[in-house]
Order: sequence, then C-alpha cells, then structure tokens
Amino acid sequence: MKMDAELELWRTQWQAEIVSPVFDDLRKRVNRQSRFMRLMLAADVLVTLVIGGGAIVWTALDPRVETALLLAAVWVFIGAAWIFALRNRKGSWTPASSSTTAFLDVSIRRARGSLRAVRFGAVLYVCEIVFSMSWVYHDVARTSPMTIAQFIALPTSLAVWGVTVAFAAFLVWYRTKKRTELAYLLGLQTELAGE
Amino acid sequence: MKLSTAASLDPPDSVPAVDSGMARAALEAQFDHLIAANGPALMRLAATYTNTASDRDDLFQDIAVAVWLALPRFRGESSERTFLFRVAHNRAIDYLRKHRSLALNVEAEPTLADSRPSPEAGFAREQQGERLRAAIRSLPLAHRQILSLVLEEMSYSEIADVLGISETNVGARLNRARHLLRERMEKHK
Repeated sequence: MKMDAELELWRTQWQAEIVSPVFDDLRKRVNRQSRFMRLMLAADVLVTLVIGGGAIVWTALDPRVETALLLAAVWVFIGAAWIFALRNRKGSWTPASSSTTAFLDVSIRRARGSLRAVRFGAVLYVCEIVFSMSWVYHDVARTSPMTIAQFIALPTSLAVWGVTVAFAAFLVWYRTKKRTELAYLLGLQTELAGE
Repeated sequence: MKLSTAASLDPPDSVPAVDSGMARAALEAQFDHLIAANGPALMRLAATYTNTASDRDDLFQDIAVAVWLALPRFRGESSERTFLFRVAHNRAIDYLRKHRSLALNVEAEPTLADSRPSPEAGFAREQQGERLRAAIRSLPLAHRQILSLVLEEMSYSEIADVLGISETNVGARLNRARHLLRERMEKHK
C-alpha cells in the first residue's frame, strides 16, 4: 500500500504514542482466567456427575419403585438438558482468530442461543419442580400423612418456593441482559455492514 | 438440576488444553515474544475502543488472555500480526458488548487537547498526536477499525483478512474514514 504524505504524517503521529503494557501480573491473570474458563467448561459435567451419580447411589442403597422412578426421571432431565445444550451450542463457536465479521456473526448466534436457553431452562425447571415436589409429597405422606396445603407450607417447601422465585428473577434479569446485548450486536453488525 | 440453565446459558469459548513441559514453554516463549513485539500497537488498538486509560489497560489484558488461549490453535495460516490483530479486534468487540456504555461515545465529538501554539516543539507534536487519537476515537467503529489498522502499516490484504471484508471494501472504507477524520481534524484546528 502506497502511503501518501497525509497518511504518513498520521502514521508517525499515531505511532509516536508508545504506552508500554504492564507486564507485572499479566501472566498470573492469563493463567487465572484460563483456569476459570476450564472450570466453567467442567461445570456441566460436574452437575451431571453429582446429581446423576447421587441418584444412582441413592437407588442402590434404597431400592424401591419410587427411587427407581426418581432415578429414571433424573436421567431423563439430564438427557434433555444435554441434548438441548449440545444442539444449542452447534455453530456458536468460532476460533478467536476468525475475522471480525465472522466473530460478530457467531456472537449474534450465541446471544440468540442464550435466549433459547432461557426459555428451555424455564420449562425444564417447571417440569423438574412439578415432578420432584410431587415425588417428595408422595414419599413424605407415606410415613406422615398430610394434605397438599400442609405440604406446600412446610419450611422445606417454602425454601424451594424461595429458590424458585430467585431463579425466576435471575432468568428475567438474564433474558433482559441478553436481549440488550443482541440488540447491540445487531446494531454493530448493521453499522459495520453499512460501510 | 440446573444443567443447561446457569452453567450452560452462555457457551464459553473452547479452552484448548496446553500440554505441560516443553510445548507449554514454547507457547509461553511465543506468547512473550508476540506481546513484547506488539504490545504498544495493541495498546493503541485498545485505546481506539475505550475512553479511559484504565479501560484501555483492562482491554489490553483481555486481549492478552485471548491471545494466550488462541495461540495453541495458530498454525501459521496467516502472519502472526494478522492473527494477533484478528484476536485483538474480536476481543475488543466482545469488550464493547460487555461494556456497552463505552459505545455511547461512538459518534461523540472528540475531546481534543488544547491546540494553542506551544514554544516547545516536542509538546506541540504530542498535542498533534493527541488530537489525532482523540479524533479517531470519535469516529464510528468501522472507521476506527480501518484507520487503526492502516496506521499500524498493515496492507489492504491483511486488513481484509482481519476484518473479513474484500480489499475493494477496505479501500472504499478507508477513503470515507480519511475524509471524516480530515473533517474532524480541520474542525478542531
């Protein structure tokens, strides 16, 4: 590229700014973030192992029709979650060294995938809560009979409702955040494509 | 069972495993070399996407992390510089997504340095440089990107490779960017 005088002057002025990066804790920070990202990737596997494995151990220690039903349900939920997660992530990864245009496209796909995950997460959570609370009610009422209203008002049940409200609030916040991000990314794409 | 809710909502980048020992040492050496050789250029790039020195430093560190994570996948398909600037621009876009308030400055008027004549030539040059950087920061993102790459002496084909546009488009975009930059510089002379 032939640099004309104006560009040459700008280039000299531009490159005159030499701000050396701080190297002190760069390596430390790089390693810390790498570890964190690996932990995040391992989180799904960990959840599967703890919940799925725990259900298997419980059923082995207390073999009943009810625990076998719980085990089956747990693995159906885990399976559904994995299938969704894998399908939803399809096409939403690109090397960090891809072109800016490709990276932006994938960022938009990721934001849309996150919005789909919010909807799926909400539906899955409702299914899980309905099943597990029905199962627990059936199990508790077997040894100490009580009405559904009494069960719903138990301290443990109240804690579950509390968690449900917190989770719903999180989903609403997360959806709003992702919608805003998506709108921003689409705006950025339009701006860059318009040039 | 919160699988695919909290943990899976935001799919993270794949984190390549770095074998320990010699391979890791070689990667670390390559990383140190890249950052040392291109540190100032990356700092200038970071400055075009941010408004303050602390944001610039933050973004630079994010870029360094992204380079470290992407390095094991680099197979020399492009030059190291092209690879580095692609990663850097992508990380910068991701940074803007997370810190959207920074983007509000996109069309803002530049906060130019005082351009009164100074008896000291060095100081005057510094002021001119600051005026240029402030004017570039005030341009729309597409123009900032193209100018920051051109001013780092990248060729049209390298820029096209970084941004994922055609070389013709690079030329057209650069012309518009230069025109706009000239206008802003003239306005605040």
